[in-house]
Amino acid sequence: MSNVKIKSKNLNVYYGDKQALFDVNLDLNEKEVTALIGPSGCGKSTFIRCINRMNDVIDICKVTGNIEMDGININDKDLDVVSLRERVGMVFQKPNPFPKSIYDNISYGPKIHGKGETKSELDQIVENSLKKSALWEEVKDRLDEPGTSLSGGQQQRLCIARAISVNPEVILMDEPCSALDPIATAKIEELIDELKKTYTIVIVTHSMAQAVRVSQKTGFFHLGKLIEVGKTEKIFKNPDNKMTQDYITGRFG
Amino acid sequence: MNIVLIFLITIFSVSLFFYGKSKTKTISIKDNIKLNALPKFYGYYLVLWCSIPALVFLLVWSLFEPVIIKSIIIETAANQGAIFSDKNEANLIYEKIKAIHLGTYFGDLDSILRESALAYAKFINLFTNSKVVLIFGIIIASVIYSLKKIKNNNKARDDVEVILKGLLFVSSLIAILTTLGIIFSLLFESIKFFSVINIFDYLFGTNWSPQRAFVRDASSITAAEFEELKDAFGFIPLIAGTSFIAFIAMLVAVPIGLFSGIYMAEYASIKVRRISKPIIEILAGIPTVVYGFFAALTVGPFFRQVGENLGLTVSSESALAAGLIMGIMIIPYVSSLSDDVINSVPQSLRDGSYAVGATKSETIKQVVIPAALPGIIGSVLLAVSRAIGETMIVVMAAGLAANLTINPLESTTTITTQIVMILVGDQEFDSPKTQSAFALGLTLFIATLILNYIAQRAVKKYREKYD
Repeated sequence: MSNVKIKSKNLNVYYGDKQALFDVNLDLNEKEVTALIGPSGCGKSTFIRCINRMNDVIDICKVTGNIEMDGININDKDLDVVSLRERVGMVFQKPNPFPKSIYDNISYGPKIHGKGETKSELDQIVENSLKKSALWEEVKDRLDEPGTSLSGGQQQRLCIARAISVNPEVILMDEPCSALDPIATAKIEELIDELKKTYTIVIVTHSMAQAVRVSQKTGFFHLGKLIEVGKTEKIFKNPDNKMTQDYITGRFG
Repeated sequence: MNIVLIFLITIFSVSLFFYGKSKTKTISIKDNIKLNALPKFYGYYLVLWCSIPALVFLLVWSLFEPVIIKSIIIETAANQGAIFSDKNEANLIYEKIKAIHLGTYFGDLDSILRESALAYAKFINLFTNSKVVLIFGIIIASVIYSLKKIKNNNKARDDVEVILKGLLFVSSLIAILTTLGIIFSLLFESIKFFSVINIFDYLFGTNWSPQRAFVRDASSITAAEFEELKDAFGFIPLIAGTSFIAFIAMLVAVPIGLFSGIYMAEYASIKVRRISKPIIEILAGIPTVVYGFFAALTVGPFFRQVGENLGLTVSSESALAAGLIMGIMIIPYVSSLSDDVINSVPQSLRDGSYAVGATKSETIKQVVIPAALPGIIGSVLLAVSRAIGETMIVVMAAGLAANLTINPLESTTTITTQIVMILVGDQEFDSPKTQSAFALGLTLFIATLILNYIAQRAVKKYREKYD
C-alpha cells in the first residue's frame, strides 16, 4: 500500500453564497493516479483547484477545511502559494501554451523559480521535460517556433512538459483530453502511465473508459459531495453506492 | 414644395404598407394560396416601389431644374434684347430677374427685365406643376405595377432583399466618394501650390514664413517675387515641431495610459473599475479647446514662473506645456484601448502561468503583455496619429513662430497650427500662401496614412507570431 500524499479534511468551498463542495474527505496516494468522475458542475475541478490554490484567483471563492500535503496544511493562508505551485503542477482542459516559443514555454517556470542559472542547465531542463512528456522527438529541431504552432495533442503535451519543468511532486489534470482526438488522447494516457512512476497524479475526467484505463483509485462526486471513493476496479465493477452504479452505467449524468 | 411632396410620399408609402400587408393576407385566406413570403414583405415591397422611384425622380429633377430654367431665361432675355458680353454678366441678369420675381429687386426696371421676369414666373409655374404631375404619375404607375406583382404572388422577399442591398451599397458608395472627393480637392490645390513652389524647396526648406507671400496672383509672379517666395515655404520646422510636441505627448501618455490600463484590467476590483473607468473616460470627453486654454492660461504661465525661479528662460507658449497637456488628453485613449486588449487575453494563459508558480506581476510582464502587444502597439500608434492631427491645443499653447528647436522650453509650431493661421481671416484663393495650407493638409494626411499602415502591419505581424 502506498503512502498518502495529500489528505483533505472537511473541505468546503463557497462561490459567494453558493456552496460548491461539502465536507470532502479524500486521500490521494503517492505515485498513483487518482481519477475524479462525476457529472458536470459536481465539484471535481473545484476540488483539484484547491490542491494548488488556483481558487485564490477567483475573488468570491472561499475555502474552509484542511488539505494536508506531507502533513502540512496547504490551505493555511500564511502558506507561500508560489512554492506550493512549484510542488503541485497543473494541466488544463484546453491546451494553453503561452504565446512564446516552445523553448520559452518550458523554460518559463524554471526561470521564475531561479532554476537553471546557466544556458546549458536550462537547455537540459527543457530537453528532460520534453522527453518526459514524449514530445522531444517531434519538436527538438524547432524549439524556437511558437508553441501555438503545434497540433492540439502536441500543445497539451507541451503543457504537461511545462508543468513537469519545475519538477513538481503532484500533477493535477483537469480533463486534459477533452479537447483532443482519440489518437492524441491515447498518447496522453500512455504518458500518464509513465509519469505516475515519478509523480502523484490527480485527473478529472468525463470518460469512464479513461478512468478505468489510467487510474488506480477513483472518486465519484455528485452535487459537491464525494459520494464514493475506492480502488478503480471496485468502483467500476462493484460500487457500494446506488448513485455510483447509476452514473457509471450511464443512467444519469 | 419639395418638403410637402416628400411628406406626401412618406404618408402614402406608410399607408400602402398596411394596405399591402392586409391585402395579401386576405388573398391568401380567400383563395387559400400559400404565399411566397410573409405578408409584411409584400408591405415592404409596396413601400419601396412607391417611395424610391418617386424620391429618385424628385432628387434628379431638383438638381437639374435650376440649371435648365437658367439657360432658358438667359436665352429669352437675349431674345428680348438684353446685352451681355460674358458669362458673369449673364449671371448677373439672371439674378436680377430672379430678384424681381421674388420681389426683392429695388433697382431700375426696364421692359426687357420685366418681360423676362414674367417669363421666369411662367416657367417656374410650369416646372412646378409638371413636377407634381410627373411624381404622382410615377407613384401611381409604380403602385399599379407592384400591386399587380403582388397579386401574382411574386417572390417579394427576394426583391426586398435585393433593393435593401442596393440601398446599403449606395450608402457605402457615398462614404467612399466623399473620401475621394476630399483627397482630390487636397491634391489639386496642392498641385497648384507646387507649380509655384518647388516641391524640394518645400520638403527640405528650413524656413517657414508664408506671410511673405503677398503676391496677388500666382500665375503673374515676377522673377524677383519668386526669389523672395522660394525659401518662404520650408516644411522642416513644421514637421520637426509637430514630431517634437507629439513625442512629448507620447512620453506622458504611453506610460501613464498603459499602466493605468494594466491596473484597470488586472488589479482593480469590480467596484473600483466601475467608478474609475468612466472618470478616466471623461478625460476623453473634454473638448480640446478646454485643454487648449488650460494649457495656455494655466500650465504655460506656471512653467514660466517655475523656470524663472530656477533661472531659466521659458517662453510662455512652450512645446513642453502643449505636449504635456496633449499627453494628458491622449491618456484615456491609450488606457482604455490597452485595458480592452489586456482584458481580451484569455484567462487560461494567466492560469497556466499561475499554475507553474508565477506571481501576478511576473504573469503580467511575461505572459499577458506579450500576448496583448499587438493591440497595445495599435493603440499607441493610434494615439500618435491623434497627437499629430491635434489642432486646438497647439494653436493655443505652442506658439506660432516656426522655430527649428529642440529646446522644449521655447515656443514652436505644428502643421495643424499653421493651417489654421493661414486660413483664418480673408483669403485670396490663388495666393501661394493659401494654397500652402492644402499642401500642408496633404502632407499631414499622407503622414497619418503611413503611420496607420505601419500600425496595421505591426499588429498583423505580431498577431501571426502570437496567435
